[in-house]
Amino acid sequence: MDRTESQDELYQKVVQEYGEALARMVCAYEVDPELRRELSQEVHLALWRSLSKFNGRCSLRTWIYRVAHNVATSHVVRQARGKSVGTFLTLEEAEAQAGLEDVEHSANRAQALSRMFALIQQLDLLDRQVIMAYLEGLDAESIAEITGLSAANVWSKIHRIKTMLVRRFHRGDRNAV
Amino acid sequence: MPCDELPDDLMIPWKEAGMNGQVFSPNQLRAQAEKMRAKRRRGYLVSGVVCSTMVATYALIIINFHIFHNMLMLIGSGLSLVGFCYLLIATLIKRSRALPDLVETDGLRFYRTELERKRDGIRWVAWSLPLIWVPVFLVDLGLTQWLLKTSAFLAGANLSLAVVCLVFVGAWVPVRNTRMARKYQERIDALDSALPSAGGTDPRG
Repeated sequence: MDRTESQDELYQKVVQEYGEALARMVCAYEVDPELRRELSQEVHLALWRSLSKFNGRCSLRTWIYRVAHNVATSHVVRQARGKSVGTFLTLEEAEAQAGLEDVEHSANRAQALSRMFALIQQLDLLDRQVIMAYLEGLDAESIAEITGLSAANVWSKIHRIKTMLVRRFHRGDRNAV
Repeated sequence: MPCDELPDDLMIPWKEAGMNGQVFSPNQLRAQAEKMRAKRRRGYLVSGVVCSTMVATYALIIINFHIFHNMLMLIGSGLSLVGFCYLLIATLIKRSRALPDLVETDGLRFYRTELERKRDGIRWVAWSLPLIWVPVFLVDLGLTQWLLKTSAFLAGANLSLAVVCLVFVGAWVPVRNTRMARKYQERIDALDSALPSAGGTDPRG
């Protein structure tokens, strides 16, 4: 089997196994539908290209998430103007904002979910990577390997972001009943 | 270290979201990669033509000095040529710099590098535009002097346009871009201060 064939086969395997996770990731990074399509294509193209170099030094899952998150990071930074890069929220700012928004109510579960996406899109890119990888079911070590943070730092970030998400999500859920 | 779990009712809707992702075949991606290469080549060609035209224009002004007999135009053209050559070389050097590897670079370092690249790009535009436009303004002043001999209206219109361009490109763009670059720098600093071991090197030390 030549290199191109194995690259194509590996790519198809990746899409089958991680296609939905990649789609969710793209949704959480980009709100504009047109740009979302563009980002999705960029991610798949970069993945397909990179797979020709896959050497098994790290797991395929780590490889895929690293490439996908880095492409998305590049996309978001490229799209951002000076103003919008300043509006990414640090965890402290996001926590403060979550407190201020206590009076707002979500009508139903779907709305709460879209608020969850909206909250993730407001976060700084590194925090987005952490929470998205966590929601995909990765453990702290794997997330640390992808992001370059220490496992303890990942753990702390997850705890803080998760607390915010749960508060918002359950608030929406209760209001729907 | 295992992560503590989010309640299932948050994980489940997350998994349900984004189900309608796009699907690409390897052949589609191959075609897309080729399309992007062609687009990049076209971009280089257009930039090359624009730069060559500008350089040729100012070179012609210098060569045909005997037509205008205007020192301002001569000095402006000479400085413009120097400015263009400098920008051309700086652009080539910038392009030859390797981008961070998508696989080898972890998220933190990649993010930091991208912010630095964006900040440097914005700063570069802020300082490179005046480098060209100030000499171009000198050429335009010289042209205005020359036009005054034939038509005051044309000279006035030309000078107004030159002043507007100078204010926009020589003053407004640098101020705006410097502010934008500062925002990126603040973001980089925040990243560094939140993660003291980051500092552009391996964050895990």
